[in-house]
Amino acid sequence: MITKIVSKNFEIPNSHTMEVALENGRYSSLKSLFEKEPQEIIETIKQSGLRGKGGGGALAGNKWQIVNDWDGTKYVVVNADESEPGTFKDRRILSLDPHLLIEGIIATCYAVSSNISYIYVRGEYEEFSDVLQAAIDEAYEKNFLGNGAKYKVDITIHRGAGAYICGEKSALLESLEGNRGHPRLKPHSPEPEFYFGEPTLVNNVETIASVPFIVQNGADAYRAYGTEKSPGTLLFAISGNINKPGVYEAEFGVSMLDYIEKIGGGVKNGKKLKAVIPGGASTPVLPAGLLKDAKLDYESLKSIGSALGTGGMIILDEDASMVKALKNLLRFYHHESCGQCTPCREGTSWSDKILDRFLAKKATKEDLNILRSVSKTMNGKTICVFAPAASGVIDGFLEHFEAEFLECIV
Amino acid sequence: MSFSYTQENTIKVASLLNKYPQKKALVLPLLWMAQKQDSFISEDAISHISEFLNLEYMHIYSVATFYTMFKLQKPQKKLIEVCRTLSCELNGSEDIKSYLDNNYGDDYEIIEVECMGACSGAPMCTVDGKYHENLTPKSLDEVLK
Repeated sequence: MITKIVSKNFEIPNSHTMEVALENGRYSSLKSLFEKEPQEIIETIKQSGLRGKGGGGALAGNKWQIVNDWDGTKYVVVNADESEPGTFKDRRILSLDPHLLIEGIIATCYAVSSNISYIYVRGEYEEFSDVLQAAIDEAYEKNFLGNGAKYKVDITIHRGAGAYICGEKSALLESLEGNRGHPRLKPHSPEPEFYFGEPTLVNNVETIASVPFIVQNGADAYRAYGTEKSPGTLLFAISGNINKPGVYEAEFGVSMLDYIEKIGGGVKNGKKLKAVIPGGASTPVLPAGLLKDAKLDYESLKSIGSALGTGGMIILDEDASMVKALKNLLRFYHHESCGQCTPCREGTSWSDKILDRFLAKKATKEDLNILRSVSKTMNGKTICVFAPAASGVIDGFLEHFEAEFLECIV
Repeated sequence: MSFSYTQENTIKVASLLNKYPQKKALVLPLLWMAQKQDSFISEDAISHISEFLNLEYMHIYSVATFYTMFKLQKPQKKLIEVCRTLSCELNGSEDIKSYLDNNYGDDYEIIEVECMGACSGAPMCTVDGKYHENLTPKSLDEVLK
């Protein structure tokens, strides 16, 4: 069930060093890259159906085209602010195969005619970011980067400082410009992101790391994996009450229950599966009963009321308290709201506080009504999707596990 | 008490200036450098950065207070951060936090933080920024002794 494209070199000793990377195929896609015109590369990415792997799942090729077509100095920004609870895949790429990311950045910059790339790494990942920096230094020495390279690309690591919201691409760019990480208003028609007013592409680490395979082997080779609408693979991750937590790459479209059993080794301590939060904390919880036919792709999880998100599954066993789990997540949202929009700043705070009353089993019927109403107020009335995600989390728990909340009402 | 970067950091600042299209982009890197140098970000450091970048003091201050990893008070003890988010909580982070409070509270500042991206190694903490995963009381003793 495990299919290794991006994670192919993860288990090779010293895979992060240039020597081992070169022995194992890194930078070999550059030959195919420079034989083609930039627009041909963009077409290949479009045909491959590569989707953004940071949670949104937008078609990467379309984003590249928009940036390419916009006049100005182009920037390529790699989002390594991985902070979604249950998600820890990009960290593997940064520390186990940084040269794959660098190779992908070179291809991406070439395709959209950019010479400058920033990798925004969450502040907590300092030790992994150090590995990446050493790899970048090696790539300069070997003339894969910088003035001596066949196509000039400069890469700078920019360190975040502890703000979940900077994973939102426009907040990330605000942070990269030296501001608070406040998300920007979204445009009405398609346009690129902007860094200091110039057209900018923001892609997740894993998205960029998927590019060399496609450049080297072609769109059809990538489409040979996964489903029609979700082609390729994803570094799915599994954690919580599970026997073998970890990051295991698989094709899109595999059965979720098979993944949990065969790759994750099943629920810990022989317990029964109660629920799965399928793609990071921001995706609505799914009770075990709904998972019989669930597949790990965008379409399947959407059809049962949740989302694929980052593919980071959190497993909850039969003993897990859903009231406690929701409290945990709402505390997270309360802590991480950037405070810019009132419905979010107040809504995440109040819903967190209301959950304290449920936890203490001292809630009232009114508390439940207020929680539902706060959730409604947070949905669709803010600048970014942080508050709507919190709202979806609340609604998911109340829809599937209302009985546990009713038990906490005096 | 005035603030200035060490000679080594001054060289770093000069090279950073070449890497960004506008000086303003240096706010976070300069705050990080000040914190690495002094273990926290002093008012003098904020003034220094504000003058160097030609930005309002209040802008630098507002950025410094937005990000949780920036410390505006001088730390008295070494820092332990215990992850408390769902995968860690399901794997016993609350017990780890109590164990640390009861046994190491005098020597370390122990705080809870949100998801550190180490869910497969739950429960986890950092000591002085370094990750320690799959914690047990025994493994903590080995790290902290």
